[in-house]
Amino acid sequence: MRKLAFFIPFALFIGLSVFLFSGLFSNPMERESSVMNQPLPAFALPDLQQPEKIWTPDSVKGKPFLLNVWGTWCVTCNAELAYLTELREQGVMIVGLYYQQPADAAFGEVFNLSALQQEVALKLEQQGNPYQWNILDKDRTLIFDLGVTGAPETFLIDAQGIIRQHHIGDINPQVWQQKLAAAYQSLQE
Amino acid sequence: MKYFFFSLLLLAGTAQATQALIEFQSPEQQALFKELTHELRCPKCQNQNIADSHAVVAVDMRNKTLELVQQGQTKEQVLDYMKSRYGDFVHYQPPLNKFTFILWLLPALMVLGLILLLVVRRKAESKRVDTDPVDTAQVHAEPHLEQQLDQLIEQYRRKS
Repeated sequence: MRKLAFFIPFALFIGLSVFLFSGLFSNPMERESSVMNQPLPAFALPDLQQPEKIWTPDSVKGKPFLLNVWGTWCVTCNAELAYLTELREQGVMIVGLYYQQPADAAFGEVFNLSALQQEVALKLEQQGNPYQWNILDKDRTLIFDLGVTGAPETFLIDAQGIIRQHHIGDINPQVWQQKLAAAYQSLQE
Repeated sequence: MKYFFFSLLLLAGTAQATQALIEFQSPEQQALFKELTHELRCPKCQNQNIADSHAVVAVDMRNKTLELVQQGQTKEQVLDYMKSRYGDFVHYQPPLNKFTFILWLLPALMVLGLILLLVVRRKAESKRVDTDPVDTAQVHAEPHLEQQLDQLIEQYRRKS
């Protein structure tokens, strides 16, 4: 009994240390996505370069693809463009969902579509273009419905338009191999 | 010089006043909006509520909350709307489920454990007094030991 009483604080200390130590290596951004295995939410958004064309869940689905949320203002998104372009060359279908930041009226900013189109075209010419097409989400409605917290984020959508993966952060060779490649391959069959 | 700085402060006041004001149909809606924006958590920034954060996603959530509140939705409806998109993470009050039950159980278990420990110790102590006649008997049998002890204590007290 006495020995046991002596070891209880010690055991508590070890337990707490292990718990806190493992916390050092956990990723606080990682959490269960609410949209996993759900169909794409309803939307009707224009194509970035051809605004007269409207994309809907029915018109985007048909083949498994990656839906990549990005913006030219986002540094990490620019860094992943080269690798995504490599993936496109390997035959992966990638669609861009353009994350437009709100125009700050207090600084006299107004949304200018043609300036944005030029900026995007220039960026993709310089860094590589992984996208089959880009969907412009000016008011971030689809982005909101998908539970996107920021850019970049990537969704794996199957041929029926069901969300199979939701990745927060950039896509690099490691993430692709560990998290997305196998899921993408299995959807191909 | 002092007055110059004070006049600068006056300028700051007028700049502040240009921020947009939100108009509500009723004080209840205003209170609900305030309550919700303080209870909803920004999913991008680790420990800020959406009233406090300037992240784009927090601004969007604030605007959506305002829109839903002005439509006359209840607190539960707004919370469900946010949770269905951003998960239980966005509400500062976690629901009781199989992942979170430990949060409620652990404090109760700790209190129970402490009470148990106290009871066990009390019992062990009273037992020792009952079944330990050696010490007391010895003291009674040898009163001069007690006197010696008193003297020693007295000595040390004087020294200090």
